[in-house]
Amino acid sequence: MQEAISTHGSVSAPVPSRAGAGLKSQHYQSIIDQQPDVGWFEVHPENYMGKGGPPLRYLERIRRDYPLSLHSVGTSLGSYLPLDQNHLKKLKQLVDRFEPGLVSEHLSWSHGYEWYTHDLIPLIYTEETLQLVVDHIDQVQETLQRQILIENPSSYLQFKKSEIAEQVFYVEAAKRSGAGLLLDINNVFVSCSNHGWSIDEYLGAVPAGLVGEIHLAGHSIQELEGQSLRIDDHGSTVCPEVWKLYRHYIDAKGTAPTLIEWDSNIPQFAELYREVRFAEVYLQRARECIRDVIS
Amino acid sequence: MSLADLQRSFCDALRSPNAPPDALLDELLEDGLALQRFNVYRNNFIVLNGDALAEMYPVIKRLIGDSAFRILATAYVREYPPMERALLVYGKDFPNFLASIPELSELHYLQDVARLEYAWTVAYHAEDVDRLEEHQITELPAEKFELLRLRPHPSMCLLHSEYPVYRIWEANQSEDPEEVISLDDGPSHVVIIRPGTRVETREASIGAFTLFQRLGSGETIGDAYNAAIQIEPAFNLELFFSQHLFDGTFCSL
Repeated sequence: MQEAISTHGSVSAPVPSRAGAGLKSQHYQSIIDQQPDVGWFEVHPENYMGKGGPPLRYLERIRRDYPLSLHSVGTSLGSYLPLDQNHLKKLKQLVDRFEPGLVSEHLSWSHGYEWYTHDLIPLIYTEETLQLVVDHIDQVQETLQRQILIENPSSYLQFKKSEIAEQVFYVEAAKRSGAGLLLDINNVFVSCSNHGWSIDEYLGAVPAGLVGEIHLAGHSIQELEGQSLRIDDHGSTVCPEVWKLYRHYIDAKGTAPTLIEWDSNIPQFAELYREVRFAEVYLQRARECIRDVIS
Repeated sequence: MSLADLQRSFCDALRSPNAPPDALLDELLEDGLALQRFNVYRNNFIVLNGDALAEMYPVIKRLIGDSAFRILATAYVREYPPMERALLVYGKDFPNFLASIPELSELHYLQDVARLEYAWTVAYHAEDVDRLEEHQITELPAEKFELLRLRPHPSMCLLHSEYPVYRIWEANQSEDPEEVISLDDGPSHVVIIRPGTRVETREASIGAFTLFQRLGSGETIGDAYNAAIQIEPAFNLELFFSQHLFDGTFCSL
């Protein structure tokens, strides 16, 4: 991991081990006016792939005051189809222009034809797809000349042909490609609940040293014939169970930059900010915890 | 099924109005809910992309109502799934799609309002360029002025409609438009442009509209002006330039 960072170019504004927020266009002006105490911001680069216009100007303005992370949704690492070179080129241009401290992508796929689903579909966990994903991560890292983080997905179904546990596949993909991990604790909770997997086994398999970022978000619950399916819609506050998992995780394994994602039913900035402050307090306590252990 | 076949079959089923084929369901881990689990993805595909379309076409949605819009959006997403990785300008074919719906094909103004809305979002994300500055013109010998080829801002879109679409669009910028607009209120010539950070939608005279068209296709100011006064003899170039020469409508030389 250390080697991967040093060989993949320089990072000009590191994202600190603090709480950050997903940047939404509805909040641009409040952030510029109020300069809230937020550790960093994260955006989907696909929302900044226009030729010009206000989004890029706002991002430039906010980037002056805050470290930035680019969280891509468009690479489709798990598609059998080749990566879209045009998309990669645009991603590279944004990386060069905004010099983000972190760049990440999902462990999923989104196109089976030339058209694009705009949803993140789960992978079949086999050696074949593992090799495919590793090759695609290599290509992305090669193009961007830097390490990326890969995020564990949330999912609602599993494929019969899967023969590797998701957490094993996830960690192995990072190890083989030299990528880091973006650990989405809400996704761990959602997927484990939806598939009856063990949360302890899942989190136990994730080496803390590879985790470069943590995601937290809200989800909703849909009833299917008496069974609850958790839907990862990023449309509410983080639920108490996920906060608890998060606190245990950072107390035991150490802190990492932590993002609050809120992408639907977007609230006033103040409400998002409240969630960010919760995460910040937990991060601070975890650091004190570790200091106590050391002393 | 190979990985490629499985991914294609999954995508076919996302897009289809029919239930997924057994061959695909056989690939899913069955716990009695496999079909419902798959349908979460099918629903997401329609809703996520339909929401992007609704963001692009808020006035159309207001004019035809939420439920009709949702039905049309579902059909549109299935027929024209997104080709781009970014959803910034999803819905390019929606105006023509509206024209292809038998129940709406007589409502020609809807397609034109949709074109206006599409142009608005394209302008919002258009390239940023330096604007024409006063000194660039004052430094020029006066006799050279009419030989200039001024380039309109790359965000500019010119839209002509037989209907008063500008007024329809403008009245529907608020939740409860009170204005009554007759479709017989005549044609409109609309200019959509984003010279700075705000998209401006303006109604133009036919002379100004023609001037923009001609300048946009690379003609000199002199030739473009001649075309404008032929179609609108009272067109006043001096007044026009006093408003628009240096307001960002034109690019730096």
